[in-house]
Formats: sequence, structure tokens, C-alpha cells
Amino acid sequence: MTETQHAPLRDDPGRAEDAVPAIELAGVRKEYHAYGETVAAVQGVDLAIAQGEFFSLLGPSGCGKTTTMRMVAGFEEPTAGEVYLLGESVTGVPANRRDVNMVFQSYALFPHMSVFENVAFGLRRKRTPKAEITERVTEMLRIVDLTGRERRRPSELSGGQQQRVALARALVNRPRALLLDEPLGALDLKLRQAMQVELKRIQREVGITFVYVTHDQGEALTMSDRIAVMNDGLVEQLGTPREIYERPASKFVAGFIGTSNLLAGDAVESGGGTSVLKHGDGGRIEVGREFATGDKVELTVRPEKMQITADEPGDGLCRVHGKVSEVVYLGTSTNYNVTTDGGADVVVFVQNAMNAEDVARRGDTVWLSWEPQHSYVIGSAE
Amino acid sequence: MRRLRGALAPYLMILPGGLWMAVFFVVPLVFMFSVSLMTGNIIDGFKQTWHWQNYTDGFHTYGDKLVRSLWYGLLATVACIALAYPAAYWIAFKGGRRKSTYLFLLLLPFFVSFVLRTLAWKLVLTDNGPLLGPLRNHGLLPSDFHVLDSGFAVVSGLTYNFLPFMVLPIYVALERIDYRVIEASYDLYASRTQAFLRVVLPLSLPGVFAGVIMTFVPVASDYVNSEVLGGPNNVMIGHIIRTEYFDNSSYALASALSFSLMALLLVGIFAYARALGTEDVLEAAGR
Amino acid sequence: MTADRQAAANRRGASDPALRRGLTTRRGFLGAVGAAAGAAALAGCGIPGRGGNGIVTQADIDEYWHGRSGKGHINWANWPGYMEDDRSTIKAFTKETGISVTYKEAIQEAADWFGKIQAPLAANQSIGFDLMVVTNGIQFTELVELGYLAPLDHHRLPNFARYASAKAKNRAYDRNNIFSIPYVSGITGIAYNSKYVKEPITSIQQLFDPKYKGRVGMMSDSQELGNFGMLALGIDPEKSTEDDWKRAREVLRSQRDKGIVRKYYEQGYIDAVTKGDVWLTMAWSGDVYTLSSPDVKFVVPKEGGTIWSDCMMMPKTAANPVDAIRLMDWLYAPQNNAPLTEYINYVTPVPAVQDIIRKDAAEASAKDKPDLDRLATSPLVFPSPEEYAKLRTYRSLSNAEVPRYQKVFQTISQGA
Repeated sequence: MTETQHAPLRDDPGRAEDAVPAIELAGVRKEYHAYGETVAAVQGVDLAIAQGEFFSLLGPSGCGKTTTMRMVAGFEEPTAGEVYLLGESVTGVPANRRDVNMVFQSYALFPHMSVFENVAFGLRRKRTPKAEITERVTEMLRIVDLTGRERRRPSELSGGQQQRVALARALVNRPRALLLDEPLGALDLKLRQAMQVELKRIQREVGITFVYVTHDQGEALTMSDRIAVMNDGLVEQLGTPREIYERPASKFVAGFIGTSNLLAGDAVESGGGTSVLKHGDGGRIEVGREFATGDKVELTVRPEKMQITADEPGDGLCRVHGKVSEVVYLGTSTNYNVTTDGGADVVVFVQNAMNAEDVARRGDTVWLSWEPQHSYVIGSAE
Repeated sequence: MRRLRGALAPYLMILPGGLWMAVFFVVPLVFMFSVSLMTGNIIDGFKQTWHWQNYTDGFHTYGDKLVRSLWYGLLATVACIALAYPAAYWIAFKGGRRKSTYLFLLLLPFFVSFVLRTLAWKLVLTDNGPLLGPLRNHGLLPSDFHVLDSGFAVVSGLTYNFLPFMVLPIYVALERIDYRVIEASYDLYASRTQAFLRVVLPLSLPGVFAGVIMTFVPVASDYVNSEVLGGPNNVMIGHIIRTEYFDNSSYALASALSFSLMALLLVGIFAYARALGTEDVLEAAGR
Repeated sequence: MTADRQAAANRRGASDPALRRGLTTRRGFLGAVGAAAGAAALAGCGIPGRGGNGIVTQADIDEYWHGRSGKGHINWANWPGYMEDDRSTIKAFTKETGISVTYKEAIQEAADWFGKIQAPLAANQSIGFDLMVVTNGIQFTELVELGYLAPLDHHRLPNFARYASAKAKNRAYDRNNIFSIPYVSGITGIAYNSKYVKEPITSIQQLFDPKYKGRVGMMSDSQELGNFGMLALGIDPEKSTEDDWKRAREVLRSQRDKGIVRKYYEQGYIDAVTKGDVWLTMAWSGDVYTLSSPDVKFVVPKEGGTIWSDCMMMPKTAANPVDAIRLMDWLYAPQNNAPLTEYINYVTPVPAVQDIIRKDAAEASAKDKPDLDRLATSPLVFPSPEEYAKLRTYRSLSNAEVPRYQKVFQTISQGA
């Protein structure tokens, strides 16, 4: 990959325009009618995606993320609400007149055309002069590292190369935004990881807003500037990857993003903005909120934040007591599955440092501890 | 032993089909070719003379029928495309869950015997029949206008009879198109027309190509339609070959005519394949 | 010679024989290919001729019949419409003689039939039939020439000798009736639809009249067509020369090229003339008689028409010629032939039948009487001597002439 400096493909929009979101969704709903029933795939979404942002829509299948994106692309019209591109409503504007382009899940390359013609397709439709087409296609193919493959057919390319053709085919049009629908889903793990880095590099190089739809939280966390986690047609949480990961706003987000240990405890004392929860024998968890005594409180702790020791940890740390049910060696780390005295199944990741031996064996009784700021209350269970 | 069997498996699989072709196609073909170079008649017998005179005689007497057969074949094939494409398109893209029902309906006439169908045609298209009679009586048609016993009737009959051979391959080709590819073309600023012309049409061309071969060849050599629906100026070569072989027992001339027809069809199909069957054409259409 | 069978078939609600013919010939065509291929494969190079077997001496006849006796069962191949639907004539024969008959309407077209039986006969094998009915046309000549027919022992044909009309005996196509005796005969003339044709049709020339452009039907059969071309020129087809054929061809060609001919029919003309697709057409007498449509009339033109015969004969490989020839003769007894004639409506070779039908008519109920009266007096079924004088027979063609004749006339209906 050549690292030559070049101007972003999109004309510099200027500061005043920067304030206008590239894409804005206001109260967008989408309902389908099937078999006499009305199903709401998207139940009211409000989003503003800034120019030049790498934005991900993350969620399990059926959460409405793809429908949301298809409404932006113009393949679906919202039942209610408005979609704005650079501040202008695009309601009623068909897909072929929207200045956004899409990278499809299985690439949807034109099988009867060469790589060059695939990439030139949009420019030809816009009646771009021939010389310019050649120049822009060539440049785009250079950016996606496909120089020399112009005459190939899509079927003669590897999955990763097809992926890059799909990307080039969309980007060469210099759209307001690029919509990517699970673009790496068909690639194997190694290639997927390489392409994640590659996508990020290309996005930086062309400076175009990317809206990335994925169900893979790792992918979303790696690449995004911001993530909207969707569930059941609604946005559950909107934030940076760090916010989403470390401070999940709901049980769903906590469960969906990474691995989370869910613990519950009864409030035993409170005051001064904090409470102490009891979890099994000797379990003592401090949280940064006041609860009435006797309240049942649920919280999450990330596995890598926990420590595992045979002796009781020192004051100031949250702790629970339990028994190791499984030890899984993973090379760089070891996972310990622990059943707490309070009846919760938790997992703890321990990095394998130099010459380190297993800190516990199956069947050992251990203490788990963590810093209080790593507890996230997600609600009080009744 | 097992390895040997494994190595032989592919050849064993082609054996039944290959034998079938050898016995029922290649052998008769070679024989017919040798007959086409014989001289004689059924009473005195045919002698292998290796004279090409049957060919020159055939061309001299029936050359225009050969040309007419190819011409009718072309007309009927074009008519088949014009009728089959929209129908196949509609079924493939708008047929929804009833696709197979619609296909079945399209093929339904072919479950009715050829006799009944053509008889019905004659009833409907006869000069004073339910279709032409009223039109003529109202002065909408000239008094000597007729459909039966004309080239139009022959080409219509051919079109009707061979339509499924065009519909099915086109349908299969259209059905195989990934709808996301069409969406991608909309996404890349193509209008509906452009999406059709640049993406759907080129991707369905292999189906049209197959349909043309499956239609044109049997249509050009058909002998029933021209006989039943045609007049004196609509005779096709298939009818002549049948008559020469059968009624006149002119085996040599009939074989020569058959081979001439086959050669013309092969040349035509190869030229067509060279001109239209390559990927460059598909790509040019997509541009 | 098949249109009456079409009419009969139509009466029984069967489909258009022209179409059926299209299908049967398709099958026949494949059969012929296979047969010819097999024969030639055996021959290696070339297909041997089988001509020159048509000359038969009394010694040959005696040799054929020597030591043969009846086996009590006959397989008979005939055309559709040539036997009562209830097969009452056959039943009467079986009742009288004890000989059972398997009757099949196996013959749809002369050429087609020839194609089917040619290969087994060439190999001296049975065709599955003892008795068959073939028209006195080109295929008949070929069967004779190729030596495929059993010579008849006229000692076994007393009824034929006694009752057959002079017109049924010793015709040019089979001198001394060595191989065949007629089953039934028919006249080729002109049928016209008086709804459209407003003048009397009396002459073949009217088939060539440009005012009937696109409204004339001709027959595609090369003998029928050639005959009418020659009759139009005042040539007697039976005595025609090759030059006459060529002159007739030119007349027929110009008739075609002027657009006068709407279509060359094998059988479908009767339907076309009834519906008015063609207004006047060459036609077979029995078709028009059976049609009994008030608009469609049949005439023997003043230049003459032709008379042809569908003849009974036996393949030389017949399993039971003794009983078959008995049936042939039995049919010549007037009382046996009359019911058949009442059904078929063509010209019977047994003139005495006319008296029987007259008698039947006199005794018939009011319902059947008009039909029988009409039949008994019809010149189409019982032509008068004057009528007969106008009728010509097919030219008998030698084996050398057949291909030349075919070449001259076949091309016309094929547009060449």
C-alpha cells in the first residue's frame, strides 16, 4: 500500500457546512404488512451522523439496522419520520438520485462486467467525460490496491478483492456517505481483520462518511468513531466504542457487547452517594449510587477487570467469594469460570504473564475482586 | 481395485449417454451422409457414387425453400423472444409465490394434443370464422384477406408451438439474477430503464441465447406447420425433405437436403455464437 | 382417395384427418428412416434395387398357391370409414364361413403405408396382415414392381368373374387382375360452394380462372394434380407422354404463380370448401356425397374427371392367403356388397348392387327411404355409361417413369 499524500476525494466542505450532519434521521419508523399483521421493523429512530464520521449500526439480526440503512439508501421509504442528507429531506427521492452509495453484503458486483466497468458504472450513468472516468477509476483502483486487475471479471477475484471492488465501485462516485451492509460478513477471520484495518485506512484517505451495519461487536468497536446499538427497532445506546463497552446503558447492551458478568446484590447500607451490596457469604460490592436498604440491584463487571486470588483481597475493593468450575487456557490469557456463593456464573480473564502459573485450579474456592469504578449498575431487579 | 473403479467412474457415467448418441445419432448420421452421395432410385437401387449431384440438384430445385425456412425460423424466433421475454420477466420478478403456477399455465397448451390445438386454430382463423368474418363484414378487412394458408399463419403457428423453448431458458436466466445486483445498479444512479438495459438484459442474454438455439433449429426444420397452416408459397424445407424421403423414396436427395439444412443451421448457429455468445458482448451491453 | 374416410371419421366425431395425417406421417417418417437405414447397413455400400419382380407366369401362380389351405383367421388392414361402424359385413362373413377377421383401420395414406410395410416385405417377413387395400397409384405400382404382392388364383374368385363390372376388370394398372381386385372406386372432379360461386361450374378451365384468385383448391397428390393439368390441356392422362407432363406442369405452375391456388390439399379441402376458405376445388365424389351440404356441389367437368380404385390385395408374406382370397370373392356377391355400398357411398365394382338398393329403398321405412333413393339414383355411386365415358384412369407408370413423373409434378405443390 502506497502511502502517498493526496487530497480527500470529497471537496473540502468548509467549516460552516461541517456543522450540518451528513445524515440525519428524525422519528423514522418503518412498518411492514404481512399476513394481515403489521410489523414495525424500525420503531422510531433519531440519529445524526456527522460528516467524515465512521458510524456503526450494531445489533443482532432483525434489530432493524439494515432496514434503517436501506431507508437512507432509498430502497425503502419510511412509514413515518424524515431522512435528511446534508440537511435536505430526501423523502420520495429514489435510490438512483440519492447521493449516497452502498456496499452490499454479498458485494452484488455486476458479474458480466470487468472490474474496471464495475467501478465505472456509476460514473457512466452520470455521464462523466470518458477521460475523467478513466482517471478516477484508475485512481480508485489504486486506493483499494487493485491496480492491474482492471480486465478481470468479479468471478476471477478472491473474496477480499471482490470486497474492494465493491468498495471502489461505491467510493469512486464521491458520495455524501457510504453505506456498508455487513461488508465483511463473507470473509474468513484473517481476511476480515485485515480488511477492518484497510477500511479504516481508506476511510481516512477519502474522508467520506461511512455508515457501517454489522452484528459483529468486535468489528464495530475496532473501526467506529461512534456506534448506535440497536435492538427491536430502537436505538438502545449511542456513543463512542469506549462508552458503549465500558458503560453499557442497558442489560441488552452489556450482554451484546463483549462479555459481561451480571451480578445481583441486596443493598445493605447506603449514604454519601454510595451503597454497599451484599452478594452471598462475604460478598461485598460498592456502587456509586444510593439505594434503599433491601433493594435488589443488578450490575455488570467486565471479566478482564476482575482479579482472582486465594486470599481475601484488601479493603477498598469489591469482592465476591466462589468456586472455580472450569479453567480454559487460551494462550495469551486464561479464562476462569467461577460460580459465586451468591449463585452467579461469572468469567474472569487473566493475562498469562511471563512464567505465570495458573492462579487457581478447578474446584478451588477463590476470591474475585475489582475496583469499585468498574461496577456498572444496570437497574434494580424486583 | 477400488482405485481403478474410482478412475473409471467418470467414463462409466458417460457410457450410457455416449452409447445412446453413438447408436441413435452418429451411426444414422454417417449413414445418411453416405446415402446423400448415392445415385439411383428405389426400384433400381442406390449406388455409392460419391457424386455431389444430389446437393447441387437440391439447391437448384429447393434453394429458395431452404432460404425461406431460415427466414421463417428467424421471424418465429424473433416473435418468440418478443412474446417470451416479457412473460418470463414478469413471472421471474413479479410472480411471487405463484411462479410455478404461472409457468405451468404458460405450458398448459402443450398438454393438449397438437391435433386439437391446430384444429382450434383452423376453426378460429378460417376466412368466415369468428375472428375474420365479422371484421370483413364490417369492411375492416379487404375481401380477399385471409390468415390461413399464409406465411403469417405459418410463422404464428411456429411461434406458438415453440414458445416454451424460449420462455423456459429466459425464465431460468432471469430467475438466477441476484436482486441485489439490480439494487446496486439503482444505487449507482441507474434509472429503471438503464438498470434493465445495462444489468438485467445482459445477465439474461445467456438464457435468450439458449432459447434462440433451442427455438431456431427446430423451427427452421419444422415441416408440420407449413403443411397445415401454409399455402403454396409457404412450403418449408422440412416438408420437402419428408416428401422426398417418404412419398418419393428419393433417399439420396432427401439426405442431401437434410445435410444441407444441417450445415446451414450449424454455420448459422456458430456465426451467431461467435457474434453474440461472447462475454465481450455482454459487457458492451452493460456499458 | 382418402377423403371419404375423412368424412366418415368426421361423422364419428374424430379429428381432422389432415392433422392426424400430419402426426401419422411423422411416425411413419421415422419408421422409414429406420427401415432404410437398416437395409442399407446390411447392404454395406448402396441400397440394392428390387425392381423387375412384377412379371408373373401361371407357373408362379400355381407355385404360390400349391399346398396352401385355410387357417380360419384373417388380418385385414383397411382405411378409416371403409367398413360399417358395427362391422356388420365382417360379422356376416364370419357367420357364413366360420372364418374370423381382425379388422384394423391401419392405413391413413398410401405413401405412409408403403413406408411401413416396405422394410419387412423387402426382408420377406410378415407385415401382420393378410389382406390390405391400396389405391391404384404409384405405391401400388411399386408394390407390384418390387414383387411384394401375392398373385391371385382366379379359380378362387368366381363371384368376381360373374359380378364385377367391366370397369373393375383388367385395368391398365393391373392387367388381368393378377394382383388385385377393386374394393371400391371413386371419381375425382370439382366441388364448389354455391354460396360464393355464382355461375355453374362445368369446366376444369374455371379452376384456372383469375377471377377466383386465392379461392381455388388443388390436390397435392402428384397424380391427381397432373391429371387435372393434362385434362385442362385436353390431354388424356392415361395416354400422356413426358412432354405432355411438362406442358401440364407449366399450366399448373402459372396457375399457382398467379396466386389462383389457395392451397394444395391432401385431404382438408372438404372442410375448406364447406367453410368458404376456398370456393371451388378438386374433390373426390364420396366426400361430397357424404357431406350432403346443400351449398357444396360436385361436378365431373366436361373435359373429364378421373376414376380411381382402392384395391384389395395380399402381401406375398400373407399368413393366410386362402381365407383372404375367399373374403375378397365373398364381397363380390351383390347381397354381401350392398350394405357396404350403402355405408361407403363410393362407386361399387358390383353394378348389381344398384338393384338391391332400389329394392331396399322400396321396402325401407319413411325415415331411411329418401337416403336410399338418393343413393340408388346417384350418378356418383352408379355412374351412367355416358358419365363413365368422361372418366379417365391414372397413367400407369413404369418404374423408370415414376421418378420422372414425380419430379415433374411434385414440385408444383412444393412451390418449386
